[in-house]
Amino acid sequence: MGEHVVHLIELYLDEELQGEERRQFEAHVAECAECWARLEHEQRLMALLAHARPLYDVPESVRRHIEQLGARPFWTRVRVFKWTLGLAAVILTALVIRVVVHDAVRRSAADRADHRSEFALLAADTHQRWVRGQLPLEIRSQSPEEISAWFADKVPFNLKLPSFRELPGQPKPYQLEGARLVGFKNDYAAYITYRMRNRPISLLVTSETVARPSGGEEIRSQGLVFHFEEINGWKILTWSDRGLTYALVSDFEERGQASCIVCHPSASEQRKLEDLRR
Amino acid sequence: MIRRWRARNHAEREFERQALAYLEGLYNFAMALTRDPTEAEDLVQETYFRAFRGAAQKLPTGDVKAWLFTILRNIWINERRRKRRQPDTEELDAEEEDGGSGWRTLADERHRPDVVHEQNALGQEIRRAIESLPAVYREVIVLRFLEGFSYSQIAAIIGCPAGTVMSRISRARAELRKRLTPYRESAASPSSEARERTASGRIREAGEIHG
Repeated sequence: MGEHVVHLIELYLDEELQGEERRQFEAHVAECAECWARLEHEQRLMALLAHARPLYDVPESVRRHIEQLGARPFWTRVRVFKWTLGLAAVILTALVIRVVVHDAVRRSAADRADHRSEFALLAADTHQRWVRGQLPLEIRSQSPEEISAWFADKVPFNLKLPSFRELPGQPKPYQLEGARLVGFKNDYAAYITYRMRNRPISLLVTSETVARPSGGEEIRSQGLVFHFEEINGWKILTWSDRGLTYALVSDFEERGQASCIVCHPSASEQRKLEDLRR
Repeated sequence: MIRRWRARNHAEREFERQALAYLEGLYNFAMALTRDPTEAEDLVQETYFRAFRGAAQKLPTGDVKAWLFTILRNIWINERRRKRRQPDTEELDAEEEDGGSGWRTLADERHRPDVVHEQNALGQEIRRAIESLPAVYREVIVLRFLEGFSYSQIAAIIGCPAGTVMSRISRARAELRKRLTPYRESAASPSSEARERTASGRIREAGEIHG
């Protein structure tokens, strides 16, 4: 018998002959005694192998060990679950940190509010009352000299308001309205009001020994340290210079630096205030 | 989320149940490959460890049985490579050259109580015959005739073309035939009644024996 026929018999027994090939083979073996004998021969070999199964018994210790392996809680053997646990721990830690940081930031903001410059708060409050018409001015004048003179014997510091020199074709961009005294720490502070494009600006001045600027955002410019805060929607810049402390209040854009014009009207001085822009 | 967790846990338990059902087959395959009970035990335990770990990451979607056998064989292959790289290690490929004479066979250890499978003499002879084959034949014999894998499944498990599997099975069968001829003649002989059946009936019977 040829190798090819033996091979076909093997394929037939191994269920690897399909379709027409299988039908042709069956038709042939049904008529061929030699092939049939060989088929039986091979069947016996396969029957022997089938009888021999299993060749080896699984040792009880191995079976027990593997069953225990399967019975173990899967998080004890699953790398991905450990990763998941690790990830969860990281996320939890991040959340805790976020809560703590958020709380700290909130407290810090609250602390900042608590530690807002008392002088800036007074400036904002006074400005608001003036804007609402609740705080009358004690002197109404557009003359800086007149107002400076009015303050001369009323405040314990020397205050001289700058004059704006009008040039042809350069009208004065703001108007001085007037001034009054404001009580602060058992003494008086000077309160001066302006308008620019019909928007109110006010300047509160006291001695540096009475109030020092603090709180808010610090901006260093031209050798001075400005503190910027927003209180009740008003932009407040406070700073100290040559023994006096100032609080400038307005509702101008950014940090309200446009209001600085009341003391620094020239273009070159305005350029120096660039640092106050956001 | 809890429902998903439960479903996942249930699927995993189901997978474990399925996997444990193949323990005997895997151990027999491991023994056929290694012919050493200690190595076979390690191989099977490592297979299950990796399978459970792998399933925990992603449950196998296909044939679990074939997947497990593939894992076991891959571990064995890697272990062989590792040993080959080590000096003073027995040359494992010797069996491929001399048909297995260089190997210690289970027949040498048949007096060990944990090795001996209490079977009749015929069973022991079959085992010895299989053990005497080279590894490439042993594995296809076990996969095809003891575990019932198809040629294509075996090709996937051992990572070679189906044609190679076919020729290996054919040669393995011829070798086994030589070793078992005396037993084959005495065992499973068809009855005279069967001889008298019609040709189509005989064919049907032939198909049923293996199926």
